Amino acid sequence: MGYLRYVLQRTVILIATVAISITLVFFVPRLVPGNPLGAVFLKLAAMGGSAGAPELIEEYNRIFGLDQSLWHQYLSFMRELLRGNLGYSISSFPSHVIDILRPALPWTIGLLTVTTLVSWVLGSVIGAAVGWRGEKSRALQALVPVALVLYTIPYYILAIILIFTLAFRWPIFPLSGAYSVGLRPALTWEFAVDVLRHATLPALSIILVSLGWWFLSMRSLITTLKGEDYILYAEARGLPESRILWRYAFRNALLPQATGLAISLGHIVGGALITEVIFAFPGLGWLIYNSITSLDFPVIQGAVLLIIVSVALANFAIDILYPLVDPRIRYEHARRG
Amino acid sequence: MTAAVPTRPSGFLAALLRNRKFVAGAGIFLLIAVVALVGSLTVDPRLRGAGRFPPRQPPGTAAILGTDTLGRSIAVQMTQAVPNSLQVGLIAALIGTLLGAAIGFISGYFSGIVDALLRILIDVFLSVPSLLFLILIAALVRGVGVRTMALIIGIFAWPSPARQVRAQILSLKERPFVEVARLSGMSGIEIVFRELAPHMLQWLGANFVNAFIAAILAESGLSILGLGPQREMTLGMLIYWALNYGAVLQNLWWWWGTPVVTLILLFLSLYLIHIGLDEVSNPRLQGR
Repeated sequence: MGYLRYVLQRTVILIATVAISITLVFFVPRLVPGNPLGAVFLKLAAMGGSAGAPELIEEYNRIFGLDQSLWHQYLSFMRELLRGNLGYSISSFPSHVIDILRPALPWTIGLLTVTTLVSWVLGSVIGAAVGWRGEKSRALQALVPVALVLYTIPYYILAIILIFTLAFRWPIFPLSGAYSVGLRPALTWEFAVDVLRHATLPALSIILVSLGWWFLSMRSLITTLKGEDYILYAEARGLPESRILWRYAFRNALLPQATGLAISLGHIVGGALITEVIFAFPGLGWLIYNSITSLDFPVIQGAVLLIIVSVALANFAIDILYPLVDPRIRYEHARRG
Repeated sequence: MTAAVPTRPSGFLAALLRNRKFVAGAGIFLLIAVVALVGSLTVDPRLRGAGRFPPRQPPGTAAILGTDTLGRSIAVQMTQAVPNSLQVGLIAALIGTLLGAAIGFISGYFSGIVDALLRILIDVFLSVPSLLFLILIAALVRGVGVRTMALIIGIFAWPSPARQVRAQILSLKERPFVEVARLSGMSGIEIVFRELAPHMLQWLGANFVNAFIAAILAESGLSILGLGPQREMTLGMLIYWALNYGAVLQNLWWWWGTPVVTLILLFLSLYLIHIGLDEVSNPRLQGR
């Protein structure tokens, strides 16, 4: 009963997020000074190709539907979105935006999923262990300031340092890209190893920073839980310490830790997009960067929409799934909602 | 509990100055800000142009922090970059915190449909990566200046303070002193400003620092994407130019290293200030 209501509440948020984002993505470009086509034609004019430009602008306006009323444009924008049509690219005109986004998507999803899962799991486990035994060991306690410094650094700043040290000074890893030039993407052992080598530094810059955050938050959760009655009771009963930590304290701390993941997903994605730029890693962030350089606004818009909807869906999935891990949360949310 | 929460401003300040994290953070932050500001006021503007120094010099007697490929001193560029980046942080954090406080106040004070709608709005904007909206706007408004950029970032910085202020108002509303004020005939507005606002100030301080961090982060991120103020220097733009001219691969480590180290120190100092503020206004956190 409580869970159903909670799912319903999260569904409302999901729909609201998608609807508000689409509306903003549609209206903001039309409210802000600056015209995506104008920028392109300025560039054309600067290159000396301005003959027949007015006719060309008119034709583009017709194709992009810019000669119709705002309301009409909004409705057709929505209708086309539902069909999965994100419009045409400007810089490579006849191509659809969706066809330009498609090859970039797996790289971003792969990088984000692996780094988020690895850092979340590792950070939580190490944080729990240090939070539990921390006070007895100076060496473990020394991890805290290290984690604090790591998590204050943005991914892409750490990325620059990693490129300089591990790709330039000591060339252990490749400088940029997702696989070696000349290698054709295929399901071979050689290609897989090459991709892994290229992905190591981008992944490492995201993992090290987020690891610091999940470590700190789990450590402080476990430190608070240590004083709880049920932990003291378990200790008094003489249960083995590892069982108390992992079966009692850790499981209870996983819930706020999962909520934390849902909340910070947006920040993780934003940072990861810029990290892709530093490594020329061919995901959506690198695509956005290139579209900014080539003034291809529809592609930027399409990528932004795609990422927002994906983050909203991922958030929804985390919110829906974690109450199933621990039934206690159902009642809490039923009461709050 | 009551004894531990200092309500007088002077008591709060004294408690802050006793907090080691706050003092360390504020010390580093002030050092960076003061050095950069004094530099920006004393350095001869003619030294800012290209070719004023020999190019590609490592840090040394010619230029303290070395020079770039165009013969510009990194130190001179820093005297523009740091104040501009701090300005973005300051303006954006002010807009974001005030906007957030207003929305949070309204949402927490009025219950019912207003609160329900605002709560959805806050939840939505908290979960969406605001960087994406910033990319969208900055991609349209080409050639933004430092101020415009701060404004755009500030407009998207309200959700986090709004949520915190709303939660605070909800808990304050239940406290006995608000009930007493209402019974003694104070109006709603009066209760907000005379009774609730003073309690919120300490919380707003921590929120402001958070928004400041987020704004400098957003500035450097947007700049690295190529959407920064192209004609002005910020920490993000300094990194952007260094990367664009291949500073890493040409081993000009001082070029990208100076803004990178400065950004790390800035973030670290701001986080320390934030933790210090949090510990003092919320004593239960102390020693964690």
